[in-house]
Amino acid sequence: MPPKVIQVFPETALERILEALERELIEASDADILEAAHDLGMKPEMKGSAAFLGLRYPDMRRPEDYFDRQWMLRVLSDPRRIWLAPKEPTES
Amino acid sequence: MRPLADTPALRPTETALALKLVSEMNLLRLKTIARLHARGLPPDIGWDDLLQEALTRVLTGARRIPGGIAPVAFIAGIMRSLRSEHWKRFGAARRRRVSSGSHRRYPTPELEGREAAPDPEHSLIAAEELQAIERLFADDPVALRIIDALGEGLAAEQIRATLSLTKTEYDSARKRIRRCLLREGLTCRPK
Repeated sequence: MPPKVIQVFPETALERILEALERELIEASDADILEAAHDLGMKPEMKGSAAFLGLRYPDMRRPEDYFDRQWMLRVLSDPRRIWLAPKEPTES
Repeated sequence: MRPLADTPALRPTETALALKLVSEMNLLRLKTIARLHARGLPPDIGWDDLLQEALTRVLTGARRIPGGIAPVAFIAGIMRSLRSEHWKRFGAARRRRVSSGSHRRYPTPELEGREAAPDPEHSLIAAEELQAIERLFADDPVALRIIDALGEGLAAEQIRATLSLTKTEYDSARKRIRRCLLREGLTCRPK
């Protein structure tokens, strides 16, 4: 049976654990970080690595990040766009 | 002149990198620490909010890094204090809600003492996070026992003595813990 942590108030135990684990991460070497990243298939040494998501690039990309705003406006207001709309479901 | 809306603004993490306040590796280290400190915080406070806020405080000069202290350790400390600020505000808001009730209050010393008692919601969230950490190390009983001991406030030597671990066994378990935390922290999966 696994040992249980909760001998003290859970919030006290959690804060102590987080502080101790924070120290572990501060002391982690660059090699440790690279090994962990490689385990995940990330290559932090390469530009655009997923490891930097949320740091150098936002987590969520908006359409404006990929497409020119004026181009999007033109496409969205193009009356021919109606042809791209899905068919309405037919009642059976 | 370019319209302001079209000018890309650097975020604190990017500014910190550009100013060489932190290296890329240190930024990754801080990301994993931020993921750790975001545990148990409400979903609207993400790990990136914690990190960006901590870096903003340093970049604006609101918090100055004392000489002799590594920037990563200092920034990690700011994130820890942001976390504790959140729980203080949370507790104060809850006490205001309770005291604004329609029932009559009798401010006896016993009731004053009760104000300082742990917040049940905070306890529940913390218990869930402890379970999440246990699940993270479920396949490693030695690591789990070390984490239990850390929760009890034991120091490294006491942990080794209590768990009858040799220095090699203890160091090896710590390495596994660190690797697991780094893997968990480098992803951007939900907490």
